[in-house]
Parts: sequence; structure tokens; C-alpha cells
Amino acid sequence: MSAVVSPIREPLIEGGKSYHQISEDLCSPTERTPSLAWVAAFMVAVTFLAVYVFCVFWTIWQGIGTWNLNRTIGWGWDITNFVWWIGIGHAGTLISAILLLFRQRWRTGVNRAAEAMTIFAVMCAGQFPLIHMGRLWLGFFIFPYPNTRGPLWVNFNSPLLWDVFAISTYFTVSLLFWYSGLVPDLATIRDRAKGLRRKIYNFFSFGWTGKAKHWQRFESLALVLAGLSTPLVLSVHTIVSFDFATSVIPGWHTTIFPPYFVAGAVFSGFAMVQTLMVMTRKVLKLEQYITLNHIDSMNKIILVTGSIVGVAYLTELFIAWYSGYIYEQFAFYNRVMGPYYWSYIGMMTCNVISPQLFWSAKIRRSLFWTFFMSIFVNIGMWFERFVIIATTLARDYLPSSWSYYVPTWVEIGLFLGTLGLFFTLYLIFVRVAPVVAVAEVKQILKAAGDQYAGKQSHKATADAHHH
Amino acid sequence: MKNKNEVWIGVEQLNNDPVLNELSNQEFAGPEDGLQITEKTLELGSSRRDFLKFLGFSLGAATLAASCDIPVRRAIPYVIKPDTIVPGVATYYASSFVQGGDYCAVLVKTREGRPIKIEGNSLSTITKGATSARAQASVLSLYDTNRFPQAGTMEDGKFRKISWEDLDKAVTGALNPKDEIRILANTLMSPTGQQAIEEFQAKYPNTKVVMYDAVSSSAMLEANAQTLGTQSIPDYHFDKADVIVSFGADFLGTWISPIEYAAQYAVNRKVNPEHPKMSRHIQVESHLSMTGSNADNRVLIKPSEMGAAIATLYNELAALNGATSVSAPSLNDKAKAALKKAAADLNAAKGKALVVSGSNNIGEQVLVNAINALLDSYGQTIDFTRASMQRKGTDGAIQGLIREMGAGAINAVFVMGANPAFDLPNADAFKEAFAKVPMKVSFANIPDETTALCNFVAPAHHYLESWGDVEPKRGLYSLIQPTIAPLFKTRQAEESLLRWAGSPNLKLDSDQPYFEYLRWNWQQKMFPKQSRFATFQIFWDSTLHDGVFEVPSDAGAVSFQGDVADAASKVSKPSGSELEIAFFETVNQGAGQYAHNPWLQEMPDPVARTVWGNYLAIPIFWDGSNEWQAFKGLNKEEAKGKADIVEVDVNGSTQRVTCVRQFGQPEGGVALALGYGRQIVGQAGKNVGVNVYPWCSIDANGNTQYYATSVSVSDRVEVENDFACVQYHHTMGVKGTDPKTNEVINVDEKTVMTLGAGYQGGLTDRTIIYQANLKEVEELVEHIHEKREEAKELNEKTLYPFDKYTENLYSQGHHWGMHIDLNACTGCGACQVACVAENNVPVVGKKEVSRHHEMTWLRIDRYFYGDYENPNVVYQPMMCQHCDNAPCENVCPVAATNHSSEGLNQMTYNRCIGTRYCANNCPYKVRRFNWLDYTTADIFPANEYAINGEDLVFGSDNLTRMVLNPDVTVRSRGVIEKCSFCVQRIQEGKLTAKKEGRSLRDGDIKTACQTACPTGAITFGDLNNEEAELNKKLKEELNYRVLEEINTQASVNYSARINNRDEAIS
Repeated sequence: MSAVVSPIREPLIEGGKSYHQISEDLCSPTERTPSLAWVAAFMVAVTFLAVYVFCVFWTIWQGIGTWNLNRTIGWGWDITNFVWWIGIGHAGTLISAILLLFRQRWRTGVNRAAEAMTIFAVMCAGQFPLIHMGRLWLGFFIFPYPNTRGPLWVNFNSPLLWDVFAISTYFTVSLLFWYSGLVPDLATIRDRAKGLRRKIYNFFSFGWTGKAKHWQRFESLALVLAGLSTPLVLSVHTIVSFDFATSVIPGWHTTIFPPYFVAGAVFSGFAMVQTLMVMTRKVLKLEQYITLNHIDSMNKIILVTGSIVGVAYLTELFIAWYSGYIYEQFAFYNRVMGPYYWSYIGMMTCNVISPQLFWSAKIRRSLFWTFFMSIFVNIGMWFERFVIIATTLARDYLPSSWSYYVPTWVEIGLFLGTLGLFFTLYLIFVRVAPVVAVAEVKQILKAAGDQYAGKQSHKATADAHHH
Repeated sequence: MKNKNEVWIGVEQLNNDPVLNELSNQEFAGPEDGLQITEKTLELGSSRRDFLKFLGFSLGAATLAASCDIPVRRAIPYVIKPDTIVPGVATYYASSFVQGGDYCAVLVKTREGRPIKIEGNSLSTITKGATSARAQASVLSLYDTNRFPQAGTMEDGKFRKISWEDLDKAVTGALNPKDEIRILANTLMSPTGQQAIEEFQAKYPNTKVVMYDAVSSSAMLEANAQTLGTQSIPDYHFDKADVIVSFGADFLGTWISPIEYAAQYAVNRKVNPEHPKMSRHIQVESHLSMTGSNADNRVLIKPSEMGAAIATLYNELAALNGATSVSAPSLNDKAKAALKKAAADLNAAKGKALVVSGSNNIGEQVLVNAINALLDSYGQTIDFTRASMQRKGTDGAIQGLIREMGAGAINAVFVMGANPAFDLPNADAFKEAFAKVPMKVSFANIPDETTALCNFVAPAHHYLESWGDVEPKRGLYSLIQPTIAPLFKTRQAEESLLRWAGSPNLKLDSDQPYFEYLRWNWQQKMFPKQSRFATFQIFWDSTLHDGVFEVPSDAGAVSFQGDVADAASKVSKPSGSELEIAFFETVNQGAGQYAHNPWLQEMPDPVARTVWGNYLAIPIFWDGSNEWQAFKGLNKEEAKGKADIVEVDVNGSTQRVTCVRQFGQPEGGVALALGYGRQIVGQAGKNVGVNVYPWCSIDANGNTQYYATSVSVSDRVEVENDFACVQYHHTMGVKGTDPKTNEVINVDEKTVMTLGAGYQGGLTDRTIIYQANLKEVEELVEHIHEKREEAKELNEKTLYPFDKYTENLYSQGHHWGMHIDLNACTGCGACQVACVAENNVPVVGKKEVSRHHEMTWLRIDRYFYGDYENPNVVYQPMMCQHCDNAPCENVCPVAATNHSSEGLNQMTYNRCIGTRYCANNCPYKVRRFNWLDYTTADIFPANEYAINGEDLVFGSDNLTRMVLNPDVTVRSRGVIEKCSFCVQRIQEGKLTAKKEGRSLRDGDIKTACQTACPTGAITFGDLNNEEAELNKKLKEELNYRVLEEINTQASVNYSARINNRDEAIS
């Protein structure tokens, strides 16, 4: 049983799958014994996670002094990592929500993994605002709860407070979106499972039976959540950018930040999706679901967003010159020529120059190039945040206070540790839930019975195309 | 267990325990009856429940016992309240800070009976209420945990306690009236101490006092004796001088009486744009000293050219005045030309000129005296009416003692505060000779290198526990009174001497024998000198209250009589060596006598801005390229906090030293500070820096020379990763001539184009410092006006103009503000240490400072401008600007920092969660974060941070914590802190006014930095009080705010720096 391949429109799923095959292909990774590759990857990830746990403990026990931040540079790797992870956490919702609204049906192949990635990335991101606090144990002060201190409220003028709301909202909505999409698939696994496994999946699939009413509610919820998420995709990084844009520090205080940050976020998010997809499709043998077309499409988005951030970088330079304001001018001199010049070069190379390779369709469709470039982009985007945060702080208004900063092992450990956290979660995820949305993929399976029409029909279509 | 359907209480019932049965029969069982452990109960087998109970209990108990070691703090009220102590109210006692020749008249602030802060005593005509960093920090050394707890013996450097009775017996038993006894001390200024020594000499006639100073003025004393007929230091009047030339005398920082000189100096340095007039100060020196950094012109010479420079100036002046010239050694051409011009300037200001020299060469000092004589300085800017007693020691004395001891001629030496085993060029010779003395007693109160070699330690009180008097200048007396009972079983050195002498005047049965002795002596000697008070008791009470007592001095005029040709033949000769090294005294460390004081160790050197160590100052060059070069290409990555360690070889002995790039060094001249590298000093100061005394030399007259000519510096041998320098970028628009175009360009802006290095490259038209030459004051006023108008316009363009919405917020009540006169600020750092003492600012140690974790609320930024080879310097005290539109306030998510109704930017430590956003958003970078548990405030001591590898973490001991100001919260780990404008003082001032039923007057409230400042550079006050001194200063045309255009509405104002540089000189 195999579907006929249309010459006009490439099918979104290759290999002429049947519904059953789809269920088999996508659910089986959760059912079979993990492969050696998975076990090895999981052990590495958990090791990094252990490093993370130790570094967090060390930071809290000893103090932020275990990091190399100083009187001049109050944020370094911590907030760089925060913004980087938040940026990565943009692709999932963008793919799920915005592409859903735009009816880009190819998204179904990648949206599940991308959403999962979003959730895990936001979880990683959320670590940093917590552990960077000098007194984490009093972190609850940041919530506007009624209290006996007056009551003493939070400062609604502070962008950090906006962050709290923006990120928690984003996380909640993304989680709901992801999980509501998972429900039919969990039910599918449940139906295939036995014993305790069945009970567990039954619990998590909320008693899904696939009634028409269920499907109708499912679709409505997806639309509502997509509608809610769409502005969030734009708002979260806009608000994160306010952490910098509303300050008075030259190099931070710029109105270009919101669009620039959002574009950068989408850019890095898609790069991370690519990294994961290229690996996942290979390891889980999902090449026919996550096709080269997907990879091609996402590379196009990387090209567009990469060019947007490139324009933003150049605009910043122009505005610095045009402002006639010496501090602004120096901030950019310093980025390009100062002691952190290598991070600026890294940013420019990885984010602006290298994505231009994607003008070539051949490179866009090359797995090797895609993987390589996705890593590159993620490095570049990390540098971008480092440039904005640490380089800017290192040299601002008063030359007497200029400083320099390199991370300690604790800071490096925290960064690598969140990678461990991220991959641990992702690897568990691919073991417990279908990494491609089974139900949604089935919707786009072209199964109109073409296979029964035989060669004639195929020929007729081809002729029609010719005339 | 058969408990299936039973209801039971505990195992006992279940087991039918006889004890329980008996107990249950007694309804009111007494405690003694219950819970008797019998054989039976012990034998009971444990059930699973018991196991869990025991487990739970022991876990809980172990946790409680092991971790929650919360110290019991008792607050016990007075049974009988002393009438001088009101809890919560400070009491001030007049006293005097004396350390060798360092002197400051002080008021000691005590709270609940413990001294916590030093203030200046404004009744003193010498220090006029000002203080120095050293005086400010002295209160900390009172609570030094390294102090000797009582008398003791010393064997092989090991201290063993003995009782004072045993010590007295041992000492008096060993002394024979015919013994050759020496009292070895730095300058002694106490009249009553002198009386005590005389009584001791009466008993032991062969006793002599050997006085020397670790940074010596020996040659000057001898030259004055030779040519002016008085072996004393004159009274200088820097305030009367229009032209000052200093040959290496660091008179604003360390030379003789810097507090006094700084105040005088500032008189002619504060500029009023309407009558622009200021003194001209030319400094001739071989390293950039703090005084040199304040000079208008500097003439750079190598250390061995000092004699040539002085002789050259003499010859120039002689030529102008028709006197005979002397043969001057050759001098570099640049300096020669500069001195020619300087001579013209001096000569034009005859009678209002002053030449001083820090040289320790007799010939040079004689020539300086001759120069002053030619300039008619004697009687005008120099006189001996109030000759200074602050340096009396001669190098000949100590060298003579070494010879005597070496010959075995000395029976006993009493070391009174001196440390010759450390601070002599021939300390080894001293040690060797000292070992031959059978009886050696030290009066030191903390261990030092010399005390370690003694037989006995008779530890003296700290000055805050002592009675005493001091005569720092002729006829100007000042009293020392205790402000706390002795913390340890110590005894004043003078009392020890009197006891050993068996003095009949020492009342041994009284509570405080030396107090009675002092009173007795004053009744004999001082009381008759005055006629104001009829009875001694009133005289005494009044003097003790005031702290100072002054009588007229009758010393006559002096005239110069000396052989200048002979003197010129004795001056130092240029060595011709390619590289020379200068050794200098720093403001914070002195000659090493302050090394045990962490406040001073952590006070940045004003010039190099380094802490916790001495760093080899290496010259910087620029060849027209995009990059600065330093001596031997060293310290390339200084702007990244990395410095190079080199091996410095002086006369064949080698030490490893860390370098620091230093502007204003002569080519071929490096410099290194004295007083570091102490080995026996208590843990906080141990092994900090390197000891350069062995590298100093002794000249033909026996005087110590603080430079060396036979020196070589290796290439980098190691990288210093703990380069503790608080400022990496130093320049604000230094200029140089481009060798290609011959145009003068801004080298700062040129070198911004160095890829990556970024050393001293920057755009420099910053609204941070305004400075100009005196001739261009009008242009500067116009420039400032223009910039301020521009800022105002920009600030009004916002959607929410500050004035429109907040103008009236602070118009009622008080609105605190400050003004800092950059012309008056000499960078001495007294304010910084005062701030540390007042506000419980933690000390963090070298490693932490190298990571830029210093906690200072007030720092003194230092910028170089002008000619890059020989730049001018401006010091800018920088603290929280208390912005009325503060960037830090709106970014704090929890509103931990906010604005008071009086315009103060407040920091609420309890609320702070430590996001550090405020610190990032502060344009002035004055906010400080508690990175680690610096204050040892955490309950768990596991993460306490040792500042210098000490076992007992500094600040963790209750003794050290006695220095804390109870009015200021000690901040814990993880919170931000910053300058509060001394809000506790504001509160105190307001409460005092309220109690007195009056409104607050201008000057009622003074911040700690303001009171400490010797030059009156800082003015604090109420912006809403039109009459306030502050508002007068704000109206001056040189006034500006730092970064005004970013609309922070800062409450701190500065007035621009003016220099009187003579471009013809260099």
C-alpha cells in the first residue's frame, strides 16, 4: 500500500505511508528498548545535569562571588545564557502558533519536537534569573502577593518584573499548547500499551477516546491557544529586550531592540530545531516525516531572520555614528575594537555572514550543511547576547570603572549544565511521547485512494501538467 | 507482637513494664520517680516504631546540634548606668593620633564605651579638624586580634605569656645602674614621655635615646643644623607660597606633616573664576608621587639626578641674584630647560616662593636651604617659630647603635615602637649586632620583626587606651586620653620605664599610675606656662576637653650660613646607568608600620590605584602607532586584569615583583614602594608585596638613600593573576605629538583603534571631568555653560520632563546635596577610609579586589590628561550621586532601592534580592554587591572568606567586630550596598535639632568623607536652604554635574579642575 506521488506538489510525508504505518513509526520509539545511541546520549546529558546541580549548589552555598562578575559587569554568562535559552524557546511556539494560523501544514512534521524544545529551553532559561539572584531564598519577593509589609508591592516599573510575567505566561501557554496537542497521541500509545504503561498513558491522555466532540474541542483549543501564543511569541523577547532597552547604558538603550531581539530569537530557535531534527530524524528513523522539505523551509526562515539581525547590527553601528553622542559611539567602537572584539567577530560571522550560504538551495537541502550551520548560528547567537550584555557593561560611561570579565568554572558549568538539563529532558521526551505529532501528521497524509487509479491517472495528471 | 486488637500507649504498656505499672498507680508522679532507667528498661528490645522514633529524634537532634549554632547574644542593661554613657548616643573624646612622627589631633567617637571612629579636632591649629587615612584607620588596629595579650618572653620568635610582676623582676634584676642602655625609637614627641625617660636615665645614667625614622629626614635635620643653626624641621607655609618647587618631597601624602600641608596648599589652589589666581607647583621627581600628581608641572629626572637638579636650580637662581654658582653635575636637557624656567618663576615670586626637598643627602638639603635663602623664604614661607618635632630621628644614630651593639658595648635595648629589623637598608647588620645584646625588651603591642628578636615583650597600650601628651610643633601641645579600658593586659611603655626606674613620682597604688604621672608633670611644666586658668584642675579639665594646649613660642629668626660649594660637591652624582629604581613611601603603608591594618591595605594607592602589595611602576611610551608600549613590552594585558611578574635585580639581590604601567615615569626609571613585604606582622598583613629596604643604600654621611642605580629588570617570568588594581583605564584625553605629521593629537582616541588591546584607548570628550589651564578659565566656563545648556535641552525633550512632574517633590523640607571641589582634592584617600570606618564597609582582600569585588562606597577616580609623557592628574571622588531621577531605582523589581522625600537614594538591604540590575544601570558604577560572605554575617561559618589566608577570618572575631558602627547595618551576602550620604548622621543631626527645639542649621550635618577631608573639598548640605554653603558653591561658574545630559538629576556637583601648568616648562 503506497500512495502515489504527485508531480505538482511534493507530498509532506514521503514513503507512501498508511495511517497504520504512521502510528507504528511514530509510536514505536516509545515502546522499544532504547537504542545504544540513546543510552549513551542520556548518560552524557545526565552527567552534565549533575554538573549543573553541583554548580547551582555551589553558587547558593558560597555566593555569587563564585562567579567572576564584578562591580562593573553585574551580568555575564548568567543573563547571556538566559536570553539565549529564551531565544531558542521561540521557535516552537512560532511553528505551532503562527504557522498554524498561516495554515502552513508542513509544520506538523516538526511542531511537536519544536514545542517540546521550547518548553525545555524556557525551563533552562528560567533557571538563570533565579540563580543569578544574590538571595534566591527571598526570590518570592518578586511576586505581587498581599503581605504584611505595608503591603509592600513589587516595582511595576521594572523590566525584570515584566520578565517574570512575560516568561511565566509564555511558559504556561506553551506548555498547554504542547500538552493539549499531545493528548490524542498519548491516547494512541495508550491504546497500543498494556498493563501499568496503559494505566499511566490513560491518566495522561485525560480519557481521550477520539470522539468527534473531542476532536472538535481539540481543534478549537488549538486555535484559541494559537491565537494566544502568537502575540506572546513577539512579546516575550520584546520584553526581554526591555531589560536592556529601558536602561541608560549606551549600547543597551536603543529602540531597535524589540524587533531585533525577536528576529534573533526566531533565528536561534530555528537553528536549535534544526540541530535537534537532524539528529532526531536520523536516530529515530523519521526521515520520511521530517523531510528535506522541512529542513529547506526552516533554513529559509534562518536566512531571513539572520539577514534581519544583520541589518539590525548595521543599523546600530549607523545610529551610533549618526547620534553624535560620544558614549554611544564609544560603545560600538568598543564592541568592534575593544578587548572583546573576538566575540563581535564571532557574532558577525556566525549570524550574518554564514547564513547567507542558504541562498543556495543545494546547501539548504544538505543535511551536513544544515547541521553545521545550525550549530554555528547557535554559537553566533550566544555571542550576540554576550556582546550586548558583558561587552557593553565592561566599558560604559566612566573609564575609571572599566573592567574585564572571564567566567569561572562555575559559570561555565552552569551553562553546560543547562545543556545537560535540556538534553536530559528532550531525551526523556523522545522516549515517552511521539516526537512527531501522530494525529496531526495523519491529517496531512494524502490518502485519497490514488494508488488505486494506476498508471493512467498518473499519466493523465502528467499530461494535464504539460498542456 | 500481640497488639492486634489492643489500644496501647508505648512499648512499656505493651510489655507490661513494672515501672510503668507502678507509675500508672501514682497519679501525681514526681519527676524523680518517673523514667528511672532500670535493668529492665535497658533490656527492652526495640521495635520498628522505636527505631523510627530514634532515627527521627537523632537525625533532628544531630541536625540541630550540628548546624544551627546560633550564638546566644545577651543584652544586659546597666545595673548602675555610667553617667557618661547613654545607649545610642555617641560620646566624643579629644585625643591625639601618634605613630612615630605621624600626628593628628583627633576626636574619638565612642559608642557604648567603645571607640568606633576617628574625627579631626578642629581646635588644633596644626591639623585644623582634618585627618588622614592613617589616622582614620587607626581605630581598627585597636581591635587587632594579633595584639599581645599580656607581658611575655620571646624565645626564637615564640611568645610565651608571663606575668607583669615576673617581667618587672626579670628586667630590673638584669639591669645594672652602670649598664649601657639604649631606648630605640622612631621620633618621640611626648614631653611627659621625655620626663619619664629622664627619670629612667637618672637611675641608669648610661641610658641614651636612639631615634631614627624609617623614612628619614636625617639629612635635612643635619643640613639645618649646619646652615641654620637648628637641628629641626621648620614650619612651612604652603599657603603663603605663590610658587612651590618640590624636589621629591611628597608633602601632600607622606612627608612630615601632610595633613597640615595639604590644608595650606589647598588655600591657593581653589580657583574663583572672577579672580583667577592660583599658586604654581612644580614637582621635580623620579616617580609619580601623590604630590607630583597634583603639581602643575613635573620635571622628570632619574633618582641619581636629584643632586644635579637641585644644583642646577641653585645655579639658575644664583645667576639671577648675583650669587656665586657651584659646579653642578650634568642633568638631562629637558630638566635643565625646565628648571631654568622654574627658577625664573621662583625668582619672580621672591618672598612668596617655597622650595622643599625630600632628599636624604646633606649636600642637597644645604643647597635647598641656600635656594630658600636666595628666595627670601626664611621668615616668609619658612620659619622656625613653630618648628616641627615630627621628624627628629637621624640615620647616624641607628647606624651608631649598630656599631656599638656589634662591638658588644650595649647591655640592654628597649625597643619603643621602632622596627629596625625590617626598615633599615642594613637590617641584617642590625639583626646580627642586636643578637649580641643580652637584654632586649620590646614595647610593641603586635608582633613585628624586631620584637621577635627580643627577650621580653612588655606590650604597650594602643593609643586609644593610653594617657599621654605630644608636642608635634614647638609650643603646640596635645593630649592623649584613653577612650576604652585596656582590652588586653598591656601597660604603657612610659609606665614600664618609670617602674623599672623606681620613680618616686609614679603613684603605684593609684588606679592609673601613668595618668597621675602625666597630671603631675603637666602641673609642674605646663600649668605655669599659662595664665588663663587659676587652678590646675580647671586648666586640666579644659585642656583635656579641648585636647590641645598652645603656648607662644619665642624661637627667633634664622639666617642661612653655609658653604654651598662644599655642599655641591656632596650631592648625588648621576649614575649614567640606563635603568634606575626609586623607592618611595605610600600614603597607606608608610614604612610598613601600617601593614597590619586591612583598611589601609585595601585603600588603593592614590596614584597607582593598586591595593594589597607594592607594584613596580614601569614607564609607558607611545611611538605614534595605535598602541601604547610599556617598558620592555610588559603588562600588555593590563586592561584585562593581567600583570606580569618580573625579576628585579638590585645590586645582585633578586626579588619577584608584579608590574604596573605608570604614566609620568621618567624613561629609564622604575619605582617601587617601601613598607611592603612584612613577615612578622599578624596574619592580615603578612607577605603582602616585597620588602625593598634591603635595596636601599647608605651614603657616605650614613644617611639612607631611597633609590638604586644598579638595577636590572627581567622579562616576564610569570603572570600575576591576582592583579589587584581598581582602575584599569587611566586617561582622559592625553595628548601627544604624532611623529608623522608633527601634529598634537589625542592619543586616547588614536589608540582606541588597537584591535583587542584597548589599553587606554577611548573617546574622551566625556562629560565627566572638566579641566583647563588657568589661562583658559573663561573658555572653560563658557564650555561648561554650553554643555549644561545642551544637557538641559536634551533633558527637557523627554515625554516626561523631570521638572514638570517632579519639581515640587523635593521643594519641601530638606533636599540633600553635595559639592566636591576637584581643585581642592589631592587624592589622599582620607575620605575613603573614613567612609569605610563610618559605614562598616567590608574588607575583601587582594584576590577579591583583583576580581573587582572591592566594596568601597566612595572611591577616588584618577585620570591623566594633557601631555602623555608628563601628564596632569585630576582626582575625582565618586560616590552615589543620589540622582533625583535615578536609573537604579526604576529597574529594581522589588523596589529595594527608592527615593526618600529628602532626595536620598535609599538602599533597603532587607528587601534586596540581589539581581544587580541597579548596579548595571548605574552610570556612575557606584553600587557594590556582596559577592561572598565578606562580613561573616551568615549563620554558617562554612563560607567565610579569608582576606589574606588567615586562620581566624578577618572580621569574624568579636574583637574586630567591636569597630562596627552600631548605627549602620552590616550587610549580608547577596545584597547591593552603596553610599547613603551618611543617612545615620543626617538622622542624628535632625534629632539633635529637634531635641533642641530649633530648625536644622547649615553645617549641623557633615558626612564622614567631608569631616575627614584635609582640604575641605567636600561640602554637604541642604539644597533647599538658600543660605547654605552648598548653594553658594553650586552657583559658581565652574560647577557641573557628571553626565548631566542623561537626566539622572544628580545631587552631587563638582567644580572643574584648573591647573596652572606652565607650558614653557615641559
